Amino acid sequence: MLPIVSLTVFLPLVGALLIMMLRKAPRPVVHAIGIITSGLTLLGALWMWSRGVNETGFAQIEQMDWMPAIGAAYRVGVDGISLPLVLLSALLFFLTFIYSAKVRERPHAFVVLLLLLETAAIGVFTALDAILFYVFFEVSLVSMYFMIAGWGHEDRQRAALMFFIYTLLGSLPLLLAILGMYLGSDPNTFDMRVWIDNPPLSGTAAMLALVAMLFTFAVKTPVFPFHTWLPAAHVQAPTAGSVILAGVMLKFGTYGLIRFALQMTPEAFRDAGIVILTFGVIAALYGAFAALAQSDLKRLIAYTSVNHMGYIVVGVAIAALALDPAIRATALDGSVLQMVSHGLVTGALFFLVGMLQDRAKTREMDQFGGLLKVVPILGWSFVLAAFASLGLPGLAHFPAEFQIFLATLQVEPVAIIVILGIVITAGLYLRAIGKIFLGEPREQWTGMSDLNTREVLTLGPLLILIIVVGIAPAWVLDVIHKTTAALQF
Amino acid sequence: MADDLSYLIPEITVLLTIVFALVAEMLRRPRIALVVTLIGLLLATGLTLPLLGADTTAFSGTYRIDALSVWAKLILLPATALSILMARSELGGSDREGTVYVLICLATMGALVLAGAGDTMLLVLGILLTGLSSFALVAYPRNDTATEAAMKFFVFASVTGAIMIFGLSYWFGGTGSTLLSELPRLETKPVIAAVGLIAVIVGLGYKASLVPFHFWAPDAYEGAPVSIAAYLSVIPKIGAILALAQVVRDLPINTGWPEVIAVVAVLTMTYGYLAALVQENVVRLLAYSSIAQAGYFLLGIVAMASSPIAIKSIIVFAAAYAAMNLGAFAIIMRTGQTLNKFSGVGRTHVVLGVVMAVFLLSLAGIPPLAGFVGKFLLFGATMDAGFTWLAVIAILNSVLSLAVYLRIVIPMYHESADDAVSATASMPLLTWVLGISFTFTVGIGLAAQLLLERLG
Repeated sequence: MLPIVSLTVFLPLVGALLIMMLRKAPRPVVHAIGIITSGLTLLGALWMWSRGVNETGFAQIEQMDWMPAIGAAYRVGVDGISLPLVLLSALLFFLTFIYSAKVRERPHAFVVLLLLLETAAIGVFTALDAILFYVFFEVSLVSMYFMIAGWGHEDRQRAALMFFIYTLLGSLPLLLAILGMYLGSDPNTFDMRVWIDNPPLSGTAAMLALVAMLFTFAVKTPVFPFHTWLPAAHVQAPTAGSVILAGVMLKFGTYGLIRFALQMTPEAFRDAGIVILTFGVIAALYGAFAALAQSDLKRLIAYTSVNHMGYIVVGVAIAALALDPAIRATALDGSVLQMVSHGLVTGALFFLVGMLQDRAKTREMDQFGGLLKVVPILGWSFVLAAFASLGLPGLAHFPAEFQIFLATLQVEPVAIIVILGIVITAGLYLRAIGKIFLGEPREQWTGMSDLNTREVLTLGPLLILIIVVGIAPAWVLDVIHKTTAALQF
Repeated sequence: MADDLSYLIPEITVLLTIVFALVAEMLRRPRIALVVTLIGLLLATGLTLPLLGADTTAFSGTYRIDALSVWAKLILLPATALSILMARSELGGSDREGTVYVLICLATMGALVLAGAGDTMLLVLGILLTGLSSFALVAYPRNDTATEAAMKFFVFASVTGAIMIFGLSYWFGGTGSTLLSELPRLETKPVIAAVGLIAVIVGLGYKASLVPFHFWAPDAYEGAPVSIAAYLSVIPKIGAILALAQVVRDLPINTGWPEVIAVVAVLTMTYGYLAALVQENVVRLLAYSSIAQAGYFLLGIVAMASSPIAIKSIIVFAAAYAAMNLGAFAIIMRTGQTLNKFSGVGRTHVVLGVVMAVFLLSLAGIPPLAGFVGKFLLFGATMDAGFTWLAVIAILNSVLSLAVYLRIVIPMYHESADDAVSATASMPLLTWVLGISFTFTVGIGLAAQLLLERLG
């Protein structure tokens, strides 16, 4: 049997090594290698999708000894929670490579870093060994740091450093928790499957481990008040960086929240459920209100990410609090689907802002006006993505958020005030659309060109998927539900 | 007796190497001295391999042949060979070049004695052997800064050495023996045990540059040639750490040594990184970083009493530290000593930049590099021994360390200063050093199993 998971994880790394060897290769060749490798990776992810997941536990497991002396091994595999995220990552990276074919500044290093990041991202979602997970988790930080520091905007050095130190500080408690669970397991192992089947810690130790993990994943998600690195990093990052950061890397936080916090310390998670729920509600509302106050488009979208990721935290907390397995599965289905939807929608939005910025050299909403008449394709694409982001029925976020809210109403009705977030985001997106695209076009923008082929190719798949997931989410939900329905804790 | 000698074949090989190299130097043939020392060191490394897994003593228990001392040879001897290559590319052609190689080998000999010490007298011997050779090495350039540095180093060493011998005399009084294996007898004599413990921490702490006995290190490293600084920051330090491990193995736990060393570890890590944050000279920065790294070694020492992975973690981290620290110093030999020399290096010299970034990120403990594996095991051992608070502080310090090392990495990718690396003549020997230390820094990270397997 072909080790397709490992191939998918390490194909980008092979591409990166290839480019490092071809140091004299001209720019188009380098970008071509990037696009082809990530395209093959996407095929690999689709192949994994076609193989599907099991009713219980993990599927498509591939393993190899690594450090048997301490119980660490190379173990990868997927279940219904990780498989959709793998596919999402592979797709977003592929599109990012297409979009980035315009990068002229040091293309070799750019493509190498992006490929390294792809290996790390897919690695995080497929790793079934805690050490392996941590390694991928940290490698992703290093590559993203260099990406922001090397190709970002004006204040990139500071933003990159803030991002790096903040998220590294955030990830170290996870290391403590991993060590704690390792020492608590008998025999000592880093096998995440063992930890999930038999949570190694209980009582106070489990609560401490949970607090450490919550800290890590709260920084990564990000949850208010640990979100301050996000707007800075997003605003300064190059478009490719923003798309990957929001579309893929934020999911490390919520994925970890489910995989580690919820599955490995379930008792403690249930005890702390109300607190986590409160954090989720506050994050969702705070993100919406903070977004309302922004005039910079990238900051605005960055804050709506805080809002959308907040719904996921709410969903996971509700799943922990729910006593009825059916409600629990609904909440988790919604949360995982929300991760996918957020990747598609926010990815599209960041691409669009990048395209707008490429043309206008500014992201200030007040400077635009009437663009719908000048650049209709860009304009209507933005309108579609924005409507998806505010949760319009028939678009990607709706089925996800609907399930989260449904479960919330059944378990903890008070928390439904989080739905206010939708009202606020609706208001702020309508205001943004009004300012940028409606009205009479300003003179300075009349010469603006509409999307070219490369940009249409980048956006098209995302916009189509936003509609497809919105109207017929069943093909994703079936995969997710297979796993969430069988979860025991 | 014959058995005893057969256990000491590696040490004897090093001694013979020193003698031959000295003869070559007397004949004014530094190249021959170089070749002899390199071959001798590698031969001694090879001759150590049959001893893997041995756990015995030689000369009535005074010299230990155990995991610590065998691995000390396997790590320190090749590291010494690398240091000699670095010294050759920095000091090659200077007057009395061969003495440098001889002195380096002598100091390594001292470090090996420390790592295998089973007797308090061998501790003293090891400290003196490494110390005397090191002073001469630091003073080698014979200019003002070097002389001043060597003088400070010497005075500091004399005082701490005297304190150590004074304290050890208490242990001798308490146990009636100089053997470390007799130390358990001190269980009922807490005061005597404590005086000796403090004295040993002073004496070995100076050698390992633990806070507050570190003051000599930044000055000595800055005054000495860079290659000598690199050597001093790795080999004698690891020797002293392993000696401390040998001592605490036998020390009764009711003296509270784990707590005392834990406090020293916290001070050393925190102070080292805080001081490194404000340095402008990269050699001083790395000097303070190597002080802080010594604090991480102590995590393993703290866990010696109660965690089976403590010894493993110390050895793995020692191997990782030797590779990454020598590598980082080797880069400084190519770029220059001030921070501004690093600006733009990553853009103009892509490979050099990547290699330096790898060394520094490994020092900071970023996976999947060697430093991560070492620190990870150290943290694990500490938590296993019940010192979770210490692991937390160590992890917080890792964040601080990142700020320190990024101070070098960030300017490397700034655009500017086209004259920055103009002085980097290509040095073929240095390229070898970089290649080898890079291979180990990445290799120990990815293939730690090969190391762990042999550690049993």
